[in-house]
Amino acid sequence: MTLIQIFITLGGIALSLFIAWFFWLAPKGQTRINSGAGGVQEVAITVKGGYTPDIIVVKAGQPLRMRFTRHESSTCSEMVLFPDFNQSAKLPEGQEVLVEFTPKKPGEYGFQCQMGMLRGKLIVE
Amino acid sequence: MEKDPVCGMKIERNSSFATREHRGQAYYFCSEDCVKQFDANPDQYALVLSQPATSATTGFNPDSTVLQVELPILGLAKEGLPGGVLIRSALEKLHGVERVVMNAKAGITVVNYDPETIKILDIVAAIKKTGYQVGGAQKRIGIENIRCASCVGSIEDELKTTPGVLNASISLGTQEATVDYLPEQTTLNELNTAIESWGYKTRPASSEESVDQQQAAHEKEYQRLMRKFWFAALVSIPVLITAYPKFIPIVKDWSMETLRITWFGAALLTLPVLFWSGSDFFTGAWAALKHRAANMNTLIALGTGAAWLYSIVAIVFPGIFPEGTSEPFFDVVAVVIALVVLGQALEIRAKGRTSEAIKKLMGLQPKTARVIRNDVEMDIPVEEVLVGDVVQVRPGEKVPVDGVILEGSSAVDESMLTGESLPASKKVGDEVIGATFNKTGAFKFRTTKVGKDTALAQIVKMVQDAQNSKAPIARLADTISGYFVPIVMILAVLTFVVWFDFGPQPQLVYGLVTAVSVLIIACPCALGLATPMSLMVGIGKGAENGILIRSGEALQTAQSIKIVVLDKTGTITKGKPELTDVIVAVQQSILSDELLRLAASVETVSEHPLAEAIVEGGKTKGLALGKPEAFEAIPGHGVTATVDGRKVALGNLKMMKRLNVDLGNLEAKSEILANDGKTPMFIAVNGKAAGIIAVADTVKEDSKEAIAALHQMGIEVVMITGDNRRTAEAIARQVGLDRVLAEVLPEDKAHNVHLLQAEGKKVAMVGDGINDAPALAQADVGLAIGTGTDVAIEASDITLIKGSLKGVVTAIEVSRATMRNIKQNLVGAFVYNTLGVPIAMGVLFPFFGLLLSPLLAGAAMAFSSVTVISNANRLRGFRPKFSAK
Repeated sequence: MTLIQIFITLGGIALSLFIAWFFWLAPKGQTRINSGAGGVQEVAITVKGGYTPDIIVVKAGQPLRMRFTRHESSTCSEMVLFPDFNQSAKLPEGQEVLVEFTPKKPGEYGFQCQMGMLRGKLIVE
Repeated sequence: MEKDPVCGMKIERNSSFATREHRGQAYYFCSEDCVKQFDANPDQYALVLSQPATSATTGFNPDSTVLQVELPILGLAKEGLPGGVLIRSALEKLHGVERVVMNAKAGITVVNYDPETIKILDIVAAIKKTGYQVGGAQKRIGIENIRCASCVGSIEDELKTTPGVLNASISLGTQEATVDYLPEQTTLNELNTAIESWGYKTRPASSEESVDQQQAAHEKEYQRLMRKFWFAALVSIPVLITAYPKFIPIVKDWSMETLRITWFGAALLTLPVLFWSGSDFFTGAWAALKHRAANMNTLIALGTGAAWLYSIVAIVFPGIFPEGTSEPFFDVVAVVIALVVLGQALEIRAKGRTSEAIKKLMGLQPKTARVIRNDVEMDIPVEEVLVGDVVQVRPGEKVPVDGVILEGSSAVDESMLTGESLPASKKVGDEVIGATFNKTGAFKFRTTKVGKDTALAQIVKMVQDAQNSKAPIARLADTISGYFVPIVMILAVLTFVVWFDFGPQPQLVYGLVTAVSVLIIACPCALGLATPMSLMVGIGKGAENGILIRSGEALQTAQSIKIVVLDKTGTITKGKPELTDVIVAVQQSILSDELLRLAASVETVSEHPLAEAIVEGGKTKGLALGKPEAFEAIPGHGVTATVDGRKVALGNLKMMKRLNVDLGNLEAKSEILANDGKTPMFIAVNGKAAGIIAVADTVKEDSKEAIAALHQMGIEVVMITGDNRRTAEAIARQVGLDRVLAEVLPEDKAHNVHLLQAEGKKVAMVGDGINDAPALAQADVGLAIGTGTDVAIEASDITLIKGSLKGVVTAIEVSRATMRNIKQNLVGAFVYNTLGVPIAMGVLFPFFGLLLSPLLAGAAMAFSSVTVISNANRLRGFRPKFSAK
């Protein structure tokens, strides 16, 4: 094995570890929502290649209002689904769409586009 | 007090948030938002202030103080309700109401009132207190850029003072006003004016927009992708020529130096392919990266990006690579991007077809309606039809919205909604459903539901929600696709390392080509698309056949149903007693029609459901019923009356014994009838036994066929009923049932379902949505039978719009076909990825010397998701055993 090959091998292993760490292990930024007027927890979510913010921490038992605005024309993201809450909404490009429900039980619930390419998580506490 | 020019709120000068001077006039603002908006365009708001504050209240003559309003009252038209008197006396007590006229027939009340002393809202409130609802139109109006909360109150007040408006509320969240109003008193235009007088622009409410908008967006996106594809495809041609010079005549004779120059050309040409045609991949990948996520875009961007960067380095610094490895792969960049973009475009087309069922449903609604307002017939767009309008429908026309027939009669073909092929006959007072087809007669009807509230709109909404729900089977695929992309990235890195360390020369090229192939061939989309696309088609297919499936979960469970529990009354049977037998006693010389006429005449004054069946039976035979005199009902026994001078007694055995009537062999005959599940009643005329009349809840025509079909599918069918065992078994014999649970109290039905579930089988319960709600909820799948406009039944997982049991068979068929399709898709997607990725890694190379070109990988990836969608589209060809058409 040449020096370059050893170098590449070690580099490859390091890169693999980095990928695993980056996507799975590193803690992700969470967005905590505080309830505003009338006890409604409100958050604006931008849809462009992903959901921003994508990890949303809310309180259980309080109504949640999410304002989705999609800034891309790719059909992947044209719907947002909350399968655990049986909620879905069409997101016309550039138009704010509301998704409202009251998460009752604490837990982690995923939300995503129709084919699961874009994902976000709702953490109910 | 000053008025905020932006939101219109009244504020004290000294408590204002800010002030501005514009063209010599001072303005006061309630909030920061309002100031900002004013600063952005002061002229717009300055203008508003100079207008009179109440400009929108047009529509009444200021000289006349007394106004007249016509209020439609829901349910007033029904006979026997004391509504008219109640409402009238309630209204006449109100100060300011001058005159009240009730029109029970038309279901309206006309009120003359003085607008100075009483508001229409108070009149409406008074009517509501009597327990009646005022019918009006509800319209949502979108308001652009309404942000400040204080404007809401002002506009609401403005709307409420507009004549004809019953209620108004504005939601800042949706930026929409919801207005209840009387179509006779005001128009949408006036409502818009009221809002616009506060300086806001109105638009159609987004929640009332239709699927068409999405279709237009799809078309636009398709065009956009196709432009990107054609550009990449055109660039691919010269790039391919320079990449494979030895296969092209003339080019193969070019020297290495010439080729090297063309490679620079290829590098320049592929740059716009990368950053224009493939821009979505890079922006998508970057956006995902920011969220520490990875998806298909990441893979394509990495693959093509790596190929391009390597190629650039290879042509700029050929010296740093070993001999023979300094060839570029610009062809990979251009061709892969072209193929994947094409795949995405085709996906949109194929996806569009999956929602065809919905489009078909939406397309059912006619575009215009012939409305009669103020005695003038006019054709107006169906969106402008309001609750309370009178609509004229001629033969051969479609019913535009839901309503109740006021005048005329006809046969209406409801097959498009219910799957029922026989036209339903409709007379005054009957419900008509929007989008159904009027065949024979002309009629007028008063609209009860328009817009989003019509049965059709509700069906569409329900189907759409279900199409976008999740089937539990998709959860595994979801979990996998969550880890999929980073795993593929790691595999690509390892592939490169292994080829670089152990591969043949040139190792760098092999390593790179295989790594790029791995990135490109992996297709997480096929996994993600497998379930939703089939669900979309399958649930749509159900809707086409009159079966509304609530969720993917219901669809999935329905495939494994082993026991179907059928409620007897209203499910297997019609749920309404009908006259079945008329038997004349042998010693009597009376005719059977005469016997029926006498019995029916007696029963005309009775309110018992069995009595109604006899009267109805007499009427359908065309008998002229007489008037009963000296009518007497003896509870638990029967009734007596005198008809045409003859003393007629009708009742059970106890009744006959009480009257000392000798029944002869009639008693034995009644026994036979009772064994058949019928209810026999003896008739005595002038104290002598005359015969028996039997009524029974008869079995629906197709129940037997449907139950046989269920048996054929290997499903056990159980009947559940509160009726006595004898009646229940008689019905069970007629329809060929295996198992009967009789004498079950309504509240025990759910428990019985639970007992069946304890046998370890999946149980479906079929019943009506109201009485059987607990049992429907207890069952693994609850199927509610709904008819007419009552389609959105909450307790059920599946609603059968057509009253027939055949729907149960079709529902299970749809479920089985869809689940089979989903499994094919999932297996296909798994197999594709688990075979494709290792092949791209080069596992076949040591044995067969076979290596996948990145170009082929790109083609495979582009078409794998199209294949999944196409397979889902195959479901469109599904035909149920009992076809609706």
